[in-house]
Amino acid sequence: MESLLDTLPHLLDLSLILAAFIGVTCGILGGALPGISPSITMALLLPFTYAMQPVDAIVMLAATYIGAEYGGSVPAILIRTPGTNAAAATVLDGYAMNRQGKAGLALGISLYSGFLGSIFGLLLLIMLSEPLANLALAFSPPAYFALGILGLSVIATLSGDSMLKGLIAALFGLMIATIGTDPVTGSNRFTFGNSDLLGGIEPVLVMVGLFALSELLAQAGTRDDIDRITSRPRIEFPGLRLARRLIKPQAIGGTIGAFEGVMPGAGGTIASFMAYNEARRWSKNKEEFGKGSPEGIAAPETANNTVAETALVPLLSFGIPGSNSTAILLGGFLIHGLQPGPMLFEKSADVIHGLYAGILVAIFGMVAVGIAILPICVWMVNRPRAFLNAFILALILSGIYTIHEGLTDVAFMLFAGAFGFFMRFLRFPFLPTVLGLVLGFLVESNFRRSLVLSGNDMSIFVGDWVSIVLLTVAALFIGGSIIQRGISFFKPSPKTAEAEQIGG
Amino acid sequence: MLKNCLTATAIAISFGGTAVAQDYPVKSVTLVTHSSPGAGGDVFLRELAKALSPVLGVNVVVENITGGSGATAMAHIAKAPKDGSILYGTTPTFIYTSLLSDPEYSYKDLDPVVNVFEDPEMIFTSAKGPFKTLEDAMTKARESRGTWGAANPASLERQSMEMLKTASGVNAAVVTHEGGGDMMINVLNGTLDIGVGEMQELKSQVEAGQVRILAALTAERVADYPDIPTVKELGYDVAVRKFRGIAGPKDLPADVIAAWEAAIPQVLAKPEFKTWYETNSLRPDFMPQSQYRNFINGFADQTSDFLRSAGVTQ
Repeated sequence: MESLLDTLPHLLDLSLILAAFIGVTCGILGGALPGISPSITMALLLPFTYAMQPVDAIVMLAATYIGAEYGGSVPAILIRTPGTNAAAATVLDGYAMNRQGKAGLALGISLYSGFLGSIFGLLLLIMLSEPLANLALAFSPPAYFALGILGLSVIATLSGDSMLKGLIAALFGLMIATIGTDPVTGSNRFTFGNSDLLGGIEPVLVMVGLFALSELLAQAGTRDDIDRITSRPRIEFPGLRLARRLIKPQAIGGTIGAFEGVMPGAGGTIASFMAYNEARRWSKNKEEFGKGSPEGIAAPETANNTVAETALVPLLSFGIPGSNSTAILLGGFLIHGLQPGPMLFEKSADVIHGLYAGILVAIFGMVAVGIAILPICVWMVNRPRAFLNAFILALILSGIYTIHEGLTDVAFMLFAGAFGFFMRFLRFPFLPTVLGLVLGFLVESNFRRSLVLSGNDMSIFVGDWVSIVLLTVAALFIGGSIIQRGISFFKPSPKTAEAEQIGG
Repeated sequence: MLKNCLTATAIAISFGGTAVAQDYPVKSVTLVTHSSPGAGGDVFLRELAKALSPVLGVNVVVENITGGSGATAMAHIAKAPKDGSILYGTTPTFIYTSLLSDPEYSYKDLDPVVNVFEDPEMIFTSAKGPFKTLEDAMTKARESRGTWGAANPASLERQSMEMLKTASGVNAAVVTHEGGGDMMINVLNGTLDIGVGEMQELKSQVEAGQVRILAALTAERVADYPDIPTVKELGYDVAVRKFRGIAGPKDLPADVIAAWEAAIPQVLAKPEFKTWYETNSLRPDFMPQSQYRNFINGFADQTSDFLRSAGVTQ
């Protein structure tokens, strides 16, 4: 409560408000551009913060992060391309709503959910930093392994009509995740002497290729008048009835987001996928998911925006960055001679309170900027398809090129696009591939790290309660969905017969 | 905020004005780092650039060329003009990447110019844990099995742990991570007995009393922490030197080298720069070119032997 009161005076600091607005605006734009991740946007802005006051500089970077986590949902809904990794789950129902001419509402739900998630995350950050920080400490390598397995268990429900195809698609992702530096020995794997492959293949290349490029290819094969989307260029917030229906998925998203956010290395992508999955499991309208369910946008968007704030917990409490974005924020602290960690609260309490205030301003700024620019975005995607698609292609090519300023990334993206086109033909779902790619490294490195710790004794995975609980939950998920599939196999209901393949 | 920007510009202009301390052949120097903005290597170069501008009498800017664990930056430098306008901020990473990945351009295609700092590596443990001295941790490893952490698989930190293991002949698992943060969590929660990290990364935890430093992996005791013994003093013949310096393309003109050799000792003596590097626990470790070349070659040979004996490369 005390820190809440100390935060208030900073809300009147004009330069802080300005920094928060600039940050959140740049963040939304960077997040919305496919290929430009939150961390890249922050890295681009970092040099501008050198000459600023420490508080303003850090607020600007944190605001960028928050804006970018939200911005990723805009292209996910409008052009079926997640702008950030964490927005991949939003593609499913967001794009489906867009195709029904409800883009304005979809964007409204995502902005509204992102706002609630961010506020919830900020409150947790201010009030519960300490207990949450201890939660992060409870996670040893076997527990991280179990967390990754729990994340992968979502494949069972994301696989659409064929579990087998889902598993094959996930294997593609897991295989791509093995490229790069071996997590235990440090030797090179599958790099074929190419130094561009040392750091592995960035998930964003595969995602943009699979989703966006394959969509462009598919559309190039259809007549122009098919698939014409005409959403009104207006953003609609959910009404009272819908808002009430969204409470449950948002609560699920917020809880999962808070949990994943404080775990260094877990992050927004797992959070949004798990939130989507759980929202679907507990929903009264399961059959709507994948076909334009508002709940399917609310859950992942609440989750990844909650992560943006709670990810600051390990950074501020231990000085440990859990992701690329928080690593750059750590850089922002260091450049201004501040060392995040336990002493920061004592030595530079005003920086912390300024940061809290700045985040609050940024969250409101996010809504204001969203309301201002979203109608323009909707108008833009309503242009004739030929112009729009050419524009999207230029956008993704330049975005991908920017990552390392090299053509290798572009080549990978194009390859992933061609591959995605064939996956689409054969009705393979994309999301398991993305999930496998994002989680593969976490699962593998923690599996092997655990075995190094235990001297190749497998019992380490049931040696602590956190991993036992997580592995049990994962087993229940997988078992449950196999049984469900079994039942629907023997009793084909009209629901599953016409179930739209997810992601494909 | 705007006011600060203006002040910064004004300072930059005044730097340009008072310059011409020495005759450097080009007007502007770009220091390239493979680190991303805000990382250790980047912050070091940016602070150095600020202090160096007036001494060299040129504009010094920093450019981040990330990717390929330094391979992209090394290629950029190897092909750069040989006039001292583009130079590279070195860390052990460029040796590791060269040896591990056999990139098109390696450290052999660059020429060391000068060294500037040593970043002291320390062995630490959780303050709540049972180990009061390094010997306590070693005893545990001798009697049962130790768990020791290093930030990355291909790093000087891991090498130092493996060296300690060999030198002491104890039974320990050297567990690698994806960066110092991951490892810190595992030290704090007791999964690992000890970890190794740079002093500047540990400082905050040390001050908060969460982490206890057991020994320094440096050749001599660290000035700020005179009570911390070195690993060598404790009877294990292990010391590493995490260097931060400057390299460039081959065949740089003699006046460029001379300018750098003259400038670095001056920069290191500047009070405001001194305050910065002392708060970050960096040890001034100036080496002129001839010495730095020998050092880098020796470092590369040692690392190459280590990588082969650890089975990382053939």
